[in-house]
Amino acid sequence: MLKHQKKWVANLLASFTLALVLFVPYFAQAYTGITIVMSAPTDSNLEFVEAFKLELMNARSTNLRVKVIDLSEVEKLVVAENSELVIALGVRALEASSKLKLTTPVLGVFTPLPTFNSLLVNSKRMLGNFSAIVLDQPYSRRFSLIKTVLPEAKNLGVLLGPDSSSDMDDIREVGESAQFNILQESIQLQTDLIPHLTTLLGVSDALMAVPDSLVYTRETVQPILLTSYRHQKPVFGFSQSYVRAGALAAVYSSSKQLAKQAAEISIKSQQLSSILPPPQAPKYFSVALNYQVARSLNIQIADENVINKKMLALEGQP
Amino acid sequence: MDSRLQVVCFGLLLASFVAHADIQLDAQQAYPIVFADNLSEDDYLGELPKVLTVSRLSQSIADSPSAVTVIDRATIRASGAVDIPELFRLVPGMYVGANAGYVYNTNYAVSYHGMNTAYPGNMQVLINGRSVYTPLFGGVKWSELPIALMDIERIEVTRGPNAASYGANAFAATVNILTSTPSETPANTVLATHGNGRNEAFYRHAGKTGDLAYRVTTGYRQDDGLDDRNDFKRTRFANAQADYQLNLNNYLEFEFGLTEGARGEGNAQEDNIVFLPRTKQMNNYYGLARWKHQLSETSDFQLQAYHSYDRSDDETTSVNLRPLIALISPILAASLVSDSIYINNEVITERTDIEAQHIFGLGATIRAVWGASVRQDTTYAPHYLGNKKTDKFNLQRLFGHVEWRPHAMWTLNTGAMLEHNDFTGTDISPRASLNFKPHPNHALRLGISSALRTPNYVEEKFNQKYAIATTLVVPRLVLQQVLANKGNVNPEQIISRDLGYVGKLGGVQLDARIFSDEITEVIRLDERTDFTVPADVLLVNPTNVDTGLNSGSAKVEGFELQTNWKIGTRTNLLLNHSHMRIRETQNGLSRNFTKSMPVNTLSAMLTHDFKNGWDASLAYYQSSETTQLGDGDPVGLTRRCDVRVARKFNTSRWNGEVSAVVENLFNTHYEEFADYNTLNRRARVNLRLDF
Repeated sequence: MLKHQKKWVANLLASFTLALVLFVPYFAQAYTGITIVMSAPTDSNLEFVEAFKLELMNARSTNLRVKVIDLSEVEKLVVAENSELVIALGVRALEASSKLKLTTPVLGVFTPLPTFNSLLVNSKRMLGNFSAIVLDQPYSRRFSLIKTVLPEAKNLGVLLGPDSSSDMDDIREVGESAQFNILQESIQLQTDLIPHLTTLLGVSDALMAVPDSLVYTRETVQPILLTSYRHQKPVFGFSQSYVRAGALAAVYSSSKQLAKQAAEISIKSQQLSSILPPPQAPKYFSVALNYQVARSLNIQIADENVINKKMLALEGQP
Repeated sequence: MDSRLQVVCFGLLLASFVAHADIQLDAQQAYPIVFADNLSEDDYLGELPKVLTVSRLSQSIADSPSAVTVIDRATIRASGAVDIPELFRLVPGMYVGANAGYVYNTNYAVSYHGMNTAYPGNMQVLINGRSVYTPLFGGVKWSELPIALMDIERIEVTRGPNAASYGANAFAATVNILTSTPSETPANTVLATHGNGRNEAFYRHAGKTGDLAYRVTTGYRQDDGLDDRNDFKRTRFANAQADYQLNLNNYLEFEFGLTEGARGEGNAQEDNIVFLPRTKQMNNYYGLARWKHQLSETSDFQLQAYHSYDRSDDETTSVNLRPLIALISPILAASLVSDSIYINNEVITERTDIEAQHIFGLGATIRAVWGASVRQDTTYAPHYLGNKKTDKFNLQRLFGHVEWRPHAMWTLNTGAMLEHNDFTGTDISPRASLNFKPHPNHALRLGISSALRTPNYVEEKFNQKYAIATTLVVPRLVLQQVLANKGNVNPEQIISRDLGYVGKLGGVQLDARIFSDEITEVIRLDERTDFTVPADVLLVNPTNVDTGLNSGSAKVEGFELQTNWKIGTRTNLLLNHSHMRIRETQNGLSRNFTKSMPVNTLSAMLTHDFKNGWDASLAYYQSSETTQLGDGDPVGLTRRCDVRVARKFNTSRWNGEVSAVVENLFNTHYEEFADYNTLNRRARVNLRLDF
């Protein structure tokens, strides 16, 4: 999770800089081309590739070549390891790419932060040549969405599971600085889901979903959304699909937005002796809103564009 | 900073050193930190089934064309009720009277805005969209429903006519009982209740295999009924519900339920000649299948079919009739072919219903639903209908409703139901309302709604009589004709107008309305003046043969108030009040029609959540004097106070609760519906375990 972003980034940057200073010779492996490795040719991956190529073309300042490998179609991942930046789309692609030569810079996209961390350690790679634009939106951004959509909400319910429970301190800290009262329940078993959710909904104004492979799955989406709806409490999701399924709103980054950020990193890092920046949260984002749910819950919400603009203003983006 | 990340960074630095020195060290081995590597992009980007589809999303109460009372799980629990109708005491404008009179005992006489009888038929009652009123008298046999209170997620009561959505019978009000979905249900639940006149136990199991989620509930209920009445019930039931997610756009739901048991019937004080105290058997079942298909983001199609069967096996033999007939003529008494009469009062009703509906949004401002249904009800009731044929009643419906929101502050609802049935032909029931929402927390509603009530079998087709043959030529038959319907009764009509306010003032949710209901073509049972019998039949009640007919008009006017006050985070107060008067606007109503609703009703429920798992609730119900129709007697002011105390507990294996309920805490003597229905103080303890 990109949690308490400022502190997180600061700490990470410190480690990164230190690592950089000490081991620059180890990293240096300038790239002249880019290989995009897709886990599978999904719509979002294909859209990413297309948008990425377009971004590079528009940039003009670079002559990076782009190659695309579909992991589902090759038996072994072969990359020109000494001259390529590898952009891995999806966890499977990142895992495969993490096994490439340690000197080959790899940038993961469409990867959750906990999974990135895990791969980082398992692959014995280093920040600087292994990085990502993670899928997780910073909590500060998620809280500003809730503030913008539901200004009167004070008590926010957070239901955590084994993957997400360690985020609690960050959620609380960022939430409280955004003037929310964070109410938390943790579960270890899926059977505890509804009782704990019910307890939480009884005291919360809204529920903020946090990615967790036990709590928020394809199987639990129905009971979570139905139970919350019956309590007439809106759910703030973490993806566009959650909003389509019945959450009130979510911040997400589209393939195009991620491609834009990835292109920016590719160009900049090439100029910086191929050293990748630390893993980062999506820079560009969109807001998804479910107007039908809002209407049914008697919540009046502004137009998506208006909310988007407000959010951008809050982050100081144009 | 997250400790996990600190370790990662430290680990990285260390690993870098080690790597630089060409010594391989497994970082994971050196730093055994467990990371969540089971999250993938699919958890963020993967398609999810659409849960809150347009058909699942109900209108916000502020946009609704009618006044609505929602009784949710928390309220059901706090009320301490074990019978569904008890919950309706919390609905302003509703009268609830437990009644053990003649047949179907104890049944609750529940009605909205008066016109209540022992067999009230002016409300539409649905369980998950399945209509459960009996075709026989149009009302609900509440204790025969194969449903456990613990499976109910919420009850939505639309106060006022709602025929445009639910058709005829959605005349005075509509009760929609919704059960929780299997996926929301704990794996195992045991519930046991023991108390005065009541013992019951339920077991429920819920599970999931692949995309199929299911729930099975079984139970046994032993209910001794009211004080000093022969109205005991022993009921076994099972209910199953299964949801199958076929794929992202298709969803199947199945329900099945059955009930069977013994019932005490007959009270000698009311009938000591024919329907004597006895025990009857009943059984019923139903099956339902529903297909939900998502056509697009804003459009759903739903097809539902169900079949239900209900049987009441009631046989009775009268007392020796000779002494009674001897009062008319000793010769006649001596000529009777038998001392007594035997009555086979078996009743079998079945219902088959298929309904299709399409819900869709048009742009951001319009939401619409339209659909059609066909239904066939069959009734076999040899004693009531006077023949052994199975009577068929067909019903076809076409309905539509549009919600248009031209502006954030305005919502216009219009709708209509076109119905054709075998009794009254083709009719249309339109409705319209305009909601003005100057602020998200305040909404005003101006509504007009019409509905029709189709006469039920009691009013249209009953031919109920007691006959005994003689050895004489004239009379060859001695006959008491109770009901001899002429048929061709027109539907009763209601036009209801209301001005309502729904809002939130601080912690208080408020729903207030003033209303005026105009009821015409009132259906009543009245003396049939043209009833004739053949010359060789002796009719013992020539001036007392009834038929269903249309007679008189009435106006019901008053106001209702519903408040839900959240006093702090742990305390809540529900307070409901209704005040209304019924006036006769055209002569011809039955004698007590205008007294058939208490002028004032009040209900209040205070709940408080103490710390350490304790919580308690205190409920108070009051209704002023009334004289109910059909078997009802004048009953005075009633006051009742119920209290419930509960203690929740959690262990690693179980979540549970122990609770105690005392009904009529101060043991106030009161009568409901009729003077013979009394209920003294009763207490119950209840244990619930989820595991």
